[in-house]
Amino acid sequence: MIFSFRSVKRNVMISSSPFREGVKAAVPIWIAYISTSFTLGIAAKAYGLHMGEIVLMSALVFAAPAQFAALEPLASGKPALQIFLVTFLINLRFLVMSAAIAPYFVGIKRPALLLSSHLISISTFILPYVHFQKQASEVAKAEKMEDRGKGNFHYFLGLAVTSFSVWVIGTGVGYWAALHVPSGFEEGLKFMLPGYFACILTSELRGKSALLITMVSFFAAVPAALLNTDWGWLVAALAIGSFGWGMEQWIRRGSR
Amino acid sequence: MDPARIAIIVGMGLVTFLIRVVPQLFFAGRSFPEAFERYLRYLSYALIASIVSTSLFLAGPRFEAAAAPNRAFALAVAVLVASWTGRPLLGMLFGALLAQILPWLSATW
Repeated sequence: MIFSFRSVKRNVMISSSPFREGVKAAVPIWIAYISTSFTLGIAAKAYGLHMGEIVLMSALVFAAPAQFAALEPLASGKPALQIFLVTFLINLRFLVMSAAIAPYFVGIKRPALLLSSHLISISTFILPYVHFQKQASEVAKAEKMEDRGKGNFHYFLGLAVTSFSVWVIGTGVGYWAALHVPSGFEEGLKFMLPGYFACILTSELRGKSALLITMVSFFAAVPAALLNTDWGWLVAALAIGSFGWGMEQWIRRGSR
Repeated sequence: MDPARIAIIVGMGLVTFLIRVVPQLFFAGRSFPEAFERYLRYLSYALIASIVSTSLFLAGPRFEAAAAPNRAFALAVAVLVASWTGRPLLGMLFGALLAQILPWLSATW
């Protein structure tokens, strides 16, 4: 009995330490998530969504750009297919992230892996991924791959579960706060989320191609949407993104 | 809550979950070509920029011509503040404040 209690205690200690490390590493993500999720909640109220709807979306989708993209189409009753397509295209980046992080979770059972994959977002991918890469170059080869996989997985859970919770709660709190804003502030509230995403996008853009694609898409979206309300802006964005990338590829090949 | 909206939100969740789960099942450890990753990044930049633009300047199928100059100015200031300070939140707050104040100012003058 004592033996089994000790072994359980030892296992918990071994497994809880990386978890705690993950929680500590998540603090900057929480700070970023609080402002974004809060703004998302406020915007959802401005678009006339129900609090339950936006909180459910945060829990099921857990991806700020896709959620932001869905607000207006959901509020105005646009076709579901369009919303699914935009969600798919914006979140397609998770495919690469999920594939890249998977090898660090050696020895973790498949159901746990599948459930935890829901917690992969840009922030919850980047921090653990960099941490695992750094750790892989430092840790002695003597350590069992399976032990390292478990440690990595607990680190990821500590970081991602808490960040996810902050995201979902933050959305609800943002919506609740918007309920208490007196009328007359609609312009400021409506500006907040698109303004925030524009600011985030500005800080993320690297290189002339990315800047050009973003600018052209920004200016083409409204005329394209006026031409075709449901699909115009989406087709224009896909065409501009694909064309810009194709041109860049062509120039790169030419310069080799 | 609107059942049609709930169904769409659940559908969005499923689409996103599939994207996250498929690599764990089939592509674990596989690295994608750098050009493909760049293509996905450019697509999301184009989509987000388009959504920012349509969210700010359209109300359903209608272009909000009267509000557009104020919002465009507020957006330009927000982006400049964010670039200078490196703080997107600060940029957004400046922009939201301007977007709120500018219509009052133009109505007063």
